[in-house]
Amino acid sequence: MSSATWLLTRRTLIQLPRNPMVLGFSVAPVLMMFVVFGALFESVKHLPGFPTDNYFEYLAPAAVLMTTVPGIANAAVGLATDIQSRYLYKLLTMPVSIGSIMAGRLLADGTRLFIQGGAVLLLAIALGAQIASGVAGALLMLLIGALFGIVTFGVLTANLALKTKDPQAVQAIFPMAFLLIFLTTAYQTEEQVPSSALRAVISINPTEYVLQAMRDLTLTGFDWGSIGVAFAVIVGLGLVGLPLTIRNYRSVYR
Amino acid sequence: MHDDRIRELIGSSSRGPSGAGVDDAIVVDDLAKRYPNGTEAVRGVSFRVLTGEVFGLLGPNGAGKSTTMGMLGTLVRPTGGRATVAGHDVVEAPRQVRRSLGFAMQEVGVDDLATGTELLILHGRLHGLSRREAARRAGLLLELVGIGDAARRRMGDYSGGMKRRVDLASALIHLPPVLFLDEPTEGLDPHGRAAIWAALDRLKAELGMTILMTTHFMEEADRLCDRIAIVDHGRIVVEGTPEELKGQIGAADVVTLEDVYLNSTGRELEVAA
Repeated sequence: MSSATWLLTRRTLIQLPRNPMVLGFSVAPVLMMFVVFGALFESVKHLPGFPTDNYFEYLAPAAVLMTTVPGIANAAVGLATDIQSRYLYKLLTMPVSIGSIMAGRLLADGTRLFIQGGAVLLLAIALGAQIASGVAGALLMLLIGALFGIVTFGVLTANLALKTKDPQAVQAIFPMAFLLIFLTTAYQTEEQVPSSALRAVISINPTEYVLQAMRDLTLTGFDWGSIGVAFAVIVGLGLVGLPLTIRNYRSVYR
Repeated sequence: MHDDRIRELIGSSSRGPSGAGVDDAIVVDDLAKRYPNGTEAVRGVSFRVLTGEVFGLLGPNGAGKSTTMGMLGTLVRPTGGRATVAGHDVVEAPRQVRRSLGFAMQEVGVDDLATGTELLILHGRLHGLSRREAARRAGLLLELVGIGDAARRRMGDYSGGMKRRVDLASALIHLPPVLFLDEPTEGLDPHGRAAIWAALDRLKAELGMTILMTTHFMEEADRLCDRIAIVDHGRIVVEGTPEELKGQIGAADVVTLEDVYLNSTGRELEVAA
């Protein structure tokens, strides 16, 4: 990591607690949703073929994604704020590369997502869930969740921030992240999804493949096949989205 | 500002801020900017700024002053001509230009969640200073611009004038040979404007820094600048020292820069409040 990247990562990390509303509201609803949904849909665990007798175990990977996918958008809100306040342009008058500015923010927010996703997993454990792949698997799950958040919603919201330069426009798109996760087997198995049309949508949603790898880590252990598919999805989406983001980032030079 | 503080600041530097190593700190040759929508913001501007000189780009809003400065500061890509700052080409060597440059911007770019001290230390470190040296200079500079008491408060609580002074201090943290000031007193009350003028007087006298500034205030240009270029519609219409420019009109008993501007362009300019 370059010295500039570390300095800019540190800047964002130091400032995270200074905006407690962002820090709290980006994880509190997920924790509440986790508990409420867990209680509401708990009965599905009694249906034949359900893979675990603890519904929180089944729900935990989706709750991690619900933290990391919308949560990464706070990085884009920070970017839009820096553009709106002109601070980004101030940074660009210094000997700092655009790559360092981007990496600094992503590393800081990636760290935040790790901590927030970890809080979700700790809550799941407190509610009786067990992570079959242990601590290493839990960390891998958080990594997959954070990377997927970056290459999907992170890319989308960063480009929105660069185009609109408006933090409110970025915040307005937050609910779309939940749609991305709801259209998966986050809450029930594929067999329990009533509509064939919905099953077809789920089968083409890349989130489903990432979720499956994370669920395998929770319920069965290290399934390198599903983990490989998840990373292939992440790399594929990254190859499309990141160059576009870098190109748009360069457009701040008028 | 206090002279002894400035001397203390210079004493900590291994090279003087005026040490750009070139006679012409800024060379601009037929520089142009045409935006994709067809707007020609700058239409072939040429000028030179000698090392240690204060050079003003004077003109109304929209004349092309800030775009010219943006191109020289590597924030805006030129579409024609070339320019060097401290001997470095702004297109081919933007990083070297940024190392040689302090840039206080028209729309102040500060980080509201950071304190004044944190901002200056970060900027110093991004310019390659050690943490200790960056912290030392941050303390001196914030005192110099009158932010000492508020240095540990977050800048979200600062007034516009305080943010502008912090921005000026941050532009000086690495003691650059060249300083860009884009409308340095725009939006300030007379007290704030006087404070900035006093600060610039000291910088010029003590550091011998090369300063390029834009302004649309006649009084400011007359007081601070060694030479002036009046810009209108993206072109330089007249250039010289304030006295030379006034001498070109000459007939009236008392000639001001505003008279020069009106004579050159036929357009009114704002007068400092």
